[in-house]
Amino acid sequence: MKKNNSMKICLAQTNPKVGDLKKNIENHVEIISGAKTQGAELAIFPELSLTGYFLKDSVYDIGINIRTEENAVLKPIYKISEDLNISVIAGFVEKDADFNFYNSSICISKGSLLSVHRKVYLPTYGMFEELRYFKPGNGFGVFDMDGVKVSVLTCEDAWHLSSSYIAVNKGAHIIIINSASPARGITAGLNKFNSMNMWEELLSVIAFYYKSYVIYVNRVGFEDGIGFSGGSCIFNPLGEMEKKLEYLEEGTVLSDINLDLLNNERFKTPLIRDENLNLTLKELENIVNSGNSETIK
Amino acid sequence: MKKELPKIDGYNFPLVYKHLSNFIKYEVLKAGVNSVVLGLSGGIDSAVSCYLATNALGKDNVTALIMPYESSSAASMDDALAVVNTLGISHYIIDITKQINEYFTKEGNAENEALRIRKGNKMARERMSILYDYSYKLNSLVLGTSNKSELLLGYGTLYGDMASALNPIGDIYKTQIYQLAEHLDIPKNIITKPPSADLWAGQSDEKELGFSYETADSIMYLLIDKMYKPEVAVSLGYDGELVNKIYAKIKKSQYKRRMPLIAKVSERTINIDFRYLRDWA
Repeated sequence: MKKNNSMKICLAQTNPKVGDLKKNIENHVEIISGAKTQGAELAIFPELSLTGYFLKDSVYDIGINIRTEENAVLKPIYKISEDLNISVIAGFVEKDADFNFYNSSICISKGSLLSVHRKVYLPTYGMFEELRYFKPGNGFGVFDMDGVKVSVLTCEDAWHLSSSYIAVNKGAHIIIINSASPARGITAGLNKFNSMNMWEELLSVIAFYYKSYVIYVNRVGFEDGIGFSGGSCIFNPLGEMEKKLEYLEEGTVLSDINLDLLNNERFKTPLIRDENLNLTLKELENIVNSGNSETIK
Repeated sequence: MKKELPKIDGYNFPLVYKHLSNFIKYEVLKAGVNSVVLGLSGGIDSAVSCYLATNALGKDNVTALIMPYESSSAASMDDALAVVNTLGISHYIIDITKQINEYFTKEGNAENEALRIRKGNKMARERMSILYDYSYKLNSLVLGTSNKSELLLGYGTLYGDMASALNPIGDIYKTQIYQLAEHLDIPKNIITKPPSADLWAGQSDEKELGFSYETADSIMYLLIDKMYKPEVAVSLGYDGELVNKIYAKIKKSQYKRRMPLIAKVSERTINIDFRYLRDWA
């Protein structure tokens, strides 16, 4: 456990330039540096923050195998992380040794690779076509960052409540959701796009019922007419929004997470403690084994 | 479930306004220029586009072309000038009568429906041609002014008024354009007059289409935005004949909303499996 039971986090709501790794890295370095000046211990960037989102065929050009010398391109991020003693979560296109591509988020802490999350749920409907290009990741990891247990979910991952269920039952204190969510849908009487509203309701539910901090970092800017909504925010374990960035505008905001508050909430409402994993497991096995999904005979 | 076309009101307007302005600003700057040129007809759609562009880029970076034909109504010119003067943007008035009439001299004087449509299309394409010439001349992108209703109904001229580099209002139904215009404080007269392409005297969109935008928009909202089948729209109380008529119009005009078909010969064909954003550059 950390000495002061808290961590200062910077939410970086950026507007990545599609396909321009170099320029985006420069922008990340600048923001990380500014975040450190304000005391941040962790800077979080949106989904595919180093590459842009609707990459289509340029996925092929921009993928990096971080276990080879290709990793050198990310060196400025490693360096500033080491020099400033700070952790960074950023999104990029990962390539594996078998030439599969992933929508990945890398966590670099104090100059070292701490974790990589490969997005599991790749939306391929409506305006989205991720499965056309990416291979799905195969799990939701929890890792330790200075005594705080962190899980990273990427955008659509969070829309499957099983993802945060797994993360929190694996011990996550904070669930970080990085995204590239397009603004869409209007409603009379509502001062935000419908998509933003859905997100905020979801984040509050995850935070409250899974008694966790939920940190949402979304991007802004346009790619071929599709505009990303921003509105990055942080919810505490009471399900309350603590900080929020403007919709549709670049910016950064700093927020503290406080493990004492998490402790307090989890003691008063011990939903995670009482979770019956064996029952869930048994039920899931039943569902899978009974072929409760349609089969063709 | 909400089944009504959502209204642009005082609550969502600020964000819609910011979103559309950002769209213009970001997409124009990405193209390496900082200004737009658009055709200003005196109607509500081009007025809305013009207001949005001026907010996004500043009045010095928006140029309006007013391109009347001899039959264009004088009121249209007044309304277009009202927009230009209110916003303080630069404009050119280019009369297209001469070249249109010159082209059609051999056709004689016999007015008929086909000729009227051909003339209308020719005018729309002449205006497009001038806009693209000014696009080069002023190093500006051509800003589109077609709304979602007319794009879906195919009520526009392919490579004419439908042509542009970017269009801020193509996902906004005509009914919503009026609501947007109210919040943008566009001159009242432009909002209250009946919609018309003004290609000939007394032309009316709604008379030509045979239904009101308000009704069509509520139906199209169900068919397109909600992806309901026509029979579902009918089950919700809409007239079956009208629903089918509108659905047929949408299907029939699909070609106007797509790039030309390319015969696939190679292993990688433009827009089929050669896939990049326009922002790729």
